[in-house]
Amino acid sequence: MGAMKLNERSVAHYALSDSPADHTGFLRTWGGPGAPPTPSGTGRRCWFVLKGNLLFSFESRESRAPLSLVVLEGCTVELAEAPVSEEFAFAIRFDAPGVRPHLLAADGPAAQEAWVKALSRASFGYMRLVVRELESQLRDARHSLALQRHSSWKATGGHCKPQAPDRRSPGLENGHSPSKDCSPMDLVEERCSRPAGRGLAEWQGPASHFLGRRQSPSCPETSYFSTLHNWYGEEIMELRQRWLQRVWGSQPEREKQDGP
Amino acid sequence: MRYNEKELQALSRQPAELAAELGMRGPKKGSGEPALTGPLAPLCPQPVGALLLERCRVTQEEPSGFSISFMEDPERKYHFQCCSEEQCQEWMGALRRASYEFMRRSLIFYRNEIQKMTGKDPLEQFGISEEARFQLGGLKA
Repeated sequence: MGAMKLNERSVAHYALSDSPADHTGFLRTWGGPGAPPTPSGTGRRCWFVLKGNLLFSFESRESRAPLSLVVLEGCTVELAEAPVSEEFAFAIRFDAPGVRPHLLAADGPAAQEAWVKALSRASFGYMRLVVRELESQLRDARHSLALQRHSSWKATGGHCKPQAPDRRSPGLENGHSPSKDCSPMDLVEERCSRPAGRGLAEWQGPASHFLGRRQSPSCPETSYFSTLHNWYGEEIMELRQRWLQRVWGSQPEREKQDGP
Repeated sequence: MRYNEKELQALSRQPAELAAELGMRGPKKGSGEPALTGPLAPLCPQPVGALLLERCRVTQEEPSGFSISFMEDPERKYHFQCCSEEQCQEWMGALRRASYEFMRRSLIFYRNEIQKMTGKDPLEQFGISEEARFQLGGLKA
């Protein structure tokens, strides 16, 4: 290893954490310690896990320590020839001097295609592009409905006062919950009646983003949420502000992305 | 765990989300570790390290300083010193949005909202509506 440091412990922890894997499966690999510069032979069969933009390999499915990590940023994924002709190979290439491509092979054409697809779309940049596109689509859709909904929500929101400080950030991150129906009407009701839970959201989930109250208005991710804020009306905003001050004045509480 | 340093260094040559000289103190005394930009974020122009930002916690430590810690050991903090409170807020905001998991949750949220409003799945136009990582079930409840 050497000069370029990485918070390996956290990375390894993340590899084994319960966060969803985007793709998993056995692949043949020709890299690794002591591997010849030119791939030869049948390589080695390892268990691969794609999480976000990180591709981990493990000795076996049950293994608790990742063997290797590839960060899938600034790379291309393409079909390739394996040393063993019946393999369904592909390569991850980095456009950097002295970096050999990672040659991998799936058991069949379907798995090969699925891996190439998943890996080539794994970058943060791709994800962000899709998010920005959807964000603007939602803004457009909201725009046409905003006025008619405004009046009815305000009526609901006006008499709905939380009796006790709710531990969740009101409303907003609920939208990220797997709840099938989280229309703003429901969010208002939920906020008033349901107990708050604890969970992972504080750890770099969207909730922590919304709890971060000093967002730049120019931040593209926040524009829609600020609109939603306004829909709740000034009164709710004020209540929330007071609540946040209380919560953050004492101790940070974990937020939960509640299930339905 | 093996990784290729040259690949990480190549990542540092990609456009930065945010770049500045910040004071940094790693979890161990006197260890000079990295500053960061982007999802996994190396210090430019001569990268010495990177921090993966999944499941990290960004905490304000003083008016112009913040720390990053990770789930497996919240007491182990990377401390950063900024020039001003404003710069500190800017970095904290950017760092909180920098994780892949954050993007994923945002995407699912927008997808869900659009589908409710229009009755159409917006991901179909990209041909990615079936991907496991964009399904609601993929989110941990």
